[in-house]
Amino acid sequence: MTQNKGKGFTRRTFLKASGAASALLGSAGLGFYGYEAGKDPRTYRGWENWEGVNQDFNRKKYAVDKPTYLKVGETSRPDARSDVIFYRRGLFRRQWRDETGLEGLDPYLQKYYRQNPEHLELDLYSQNELMPKLMADTRKYRKQFLLAAAWSNAMGAVGPPRITEPPEKSDFMLNRRTGQPIEAVQFKDPVKTSKLIKKMAHELGSTLVGIARLNPDWVYSYTSIGRGFKSDEPIEVPKHWQFAIVVGTPMSWDPLYANPTYGTSNDAYSRSRIIGFRLASFIKQLGYGARPHTPGTDYDLMVPPILVDAGIGEQGRPSIVITPELGNNFRPAVITTNLPLVPDKPIDFGVQDFCKHCKICAENCPSGAITFGDPVEERGYLRFKVDTAKCLNFWNSTLGSMGCRLCVAVCPYTRKANWIHKAALKVTADDPTGLTEKGLTFLQKKFYPGPDPQTYYMPSLGGENASYRPPPWWLRSEDFIE
Amino acid sequence: MSFFSSGFFWFMEGVFACLAVLGLKLWAEDRGIPMPFWKWILAGIWVVFLGFTIAFVGTSLGENEVVAARLGGILFGLTSIVSGIGLWRLLHSGRKAVK
Ligand code: SF4
Ligand code: SF4
Repeated sequence: MTQNKGKGFTRRTFLKASGAASALLGSAGLGFYGYEAGKDPRTYRGWENWEGVNQDFNRKKYAVDKPTYLKVGETSRPDARSDVIFYRRGLFRRQWRDETGLEGLDPYLQKYYRQNPEHLELDLYSQNELMPKLMADTRKYRKQFLLAAAWSNAMGAVGPPRITEPPEKSDFMLNRRTGQPIEAVQFKDPVKTSKLIKKMAHELGSTLVGIARLNPDWVYSYTSIGRGFKSDEPIEVPKHWQFAIVVGTPMSWDPLYANPTYGTSNDAYSRSRIIGFRLASFIKQLGYGARPHTPGTDYDLMVPPILVDAGIGEQGRPSIVITPELGNNFRPAVITTNLPLVPDKPIDFGVQDFCKHCKICAENCPSGAITFGDPVEERGYLRFKVDTAKCLNFWNSTLGSMGCRLCVAVCPYTRKANWIHKAALKVTADDPTGLTEKGLTFLQKKFYPGPDPQTYYMPSLGGENASYRPPPWWLRSEDFIE
Repeated sequence: MSFFSSGFFWFMEGVFACLAVLGLKLWAEDRGIPMPFWKWILAGIWVVFLGFTIAFVGTSLGENEVVAARLGGILFGLTSIVSGIGLWRLLHSGRKAVK
């Protein structure tokens, strides 16, 4: 090689200097790339594209024959009137009289409160102490959450009508002349039909979609909200509820991290509700039965285990389902139908083990509703138990739009789709030793801390109206309003 | 799409990487440092880790996760420096005197 020593700046020196400069420029470039990747709105999965490109996790690789929840005893169906907190609280408010006490409640409520006396205390506390405080604090600190509340209400302002007829009537498209269901078209092949339904779900706006055979254990035994069922008669699972199609969307990402409660569930609720009704309409027009079960409360069944059955994700510690693409930032709707379909397989991408050690949601839950313990048996199935009465009481201990969503915001799986979090998911899902899972949980706790959980409470309960992360610029009322 | 998420950016990163490898090769030759394949592999791993550290800090800042950027910068940055010093010494092993 020519070495022009003594001739000053040689070609060789130039190449060496270029190499050093390139190393510097390349490194700086990676820093800028990272910054852009962190800000990139395209990492806000589920809000940018309706073509289904966000359902990109290789589910086949993690498919298992049995769902990741365990059946351990004799199963029974949930009674929505007492087991589902929203319905129970509604009934309790209508029925409770101090003079008559427990005796004045319907028998199923009496039975429930006798078995769960701590819930009677929590429900009474909510009614007598919490709600008056909430109203007073809302008046006092209204301005802080004004834009967020208006945005939340706007998101929930549009929705399909409520179902009021029984399934045999409302689930079918009826011939106007005869009053009978229209004739069903014959599909060539259930595999192709399933593909069509999934494409249609994405086309209608669903971020994720999956299909399960409906397990009747998930259907309520009784309900209190009508939808064609009487509250004092047991629900007989309609014969045409053979399959359950799951659709859904995520909540807006920046507000989600700003809970409580610059975020809202209404954004995803509204989208998922509309998608559910649209997909049901599509199926009904082809002559098959279809009923949407949609958020916030229009369900005849429990949704999380159906998501597990449909391979959408696994049930995590706070009882909600963690998906590989969106973490637990996923608000689902379910369509029950008799359209012949092929169910998807459940998946196991390591959530059960991860949740056993992680406990970040339990540490950050201000109400103590999430257990630190192991899964326990409930109605014949093993699962992490969440105290929904404590949870709902905390919802009424914060200002802004209704809800909390902290267990969604803090979960390591609920991250935007940039390279760091995608890589972390890949590594944990593929590591059989569980070592990376422990390492990443440790880093997550150190790198992404939140405020002291007690500061999330409203001021009259000793808190500071804190949020996990600051609200996005477009929800900061103080920057816009006098 | 910004420049840093475009294909052209990665093309430029490739050009920089090639130039850096060439520069390292010439530099090692001039100093009489033998560069067997294992040294190239170790250097490559170190460069990838350094790149990860820089991109991690950048991404965390972009996400507004300042604590993650700071702690990640310290933890991964220190690891890069310590391993970098070790690698530097290792690179010099087997060095011959240059006339
Ligand atoms: S925060 Fe941790 S324990 Fe809680 S759901 Fe997420 S992974 Fe599971
Ligand atoms: S929503 Fe809030 S209060 Fe309820 S379980 Fe999750 S973190 Fe706890």
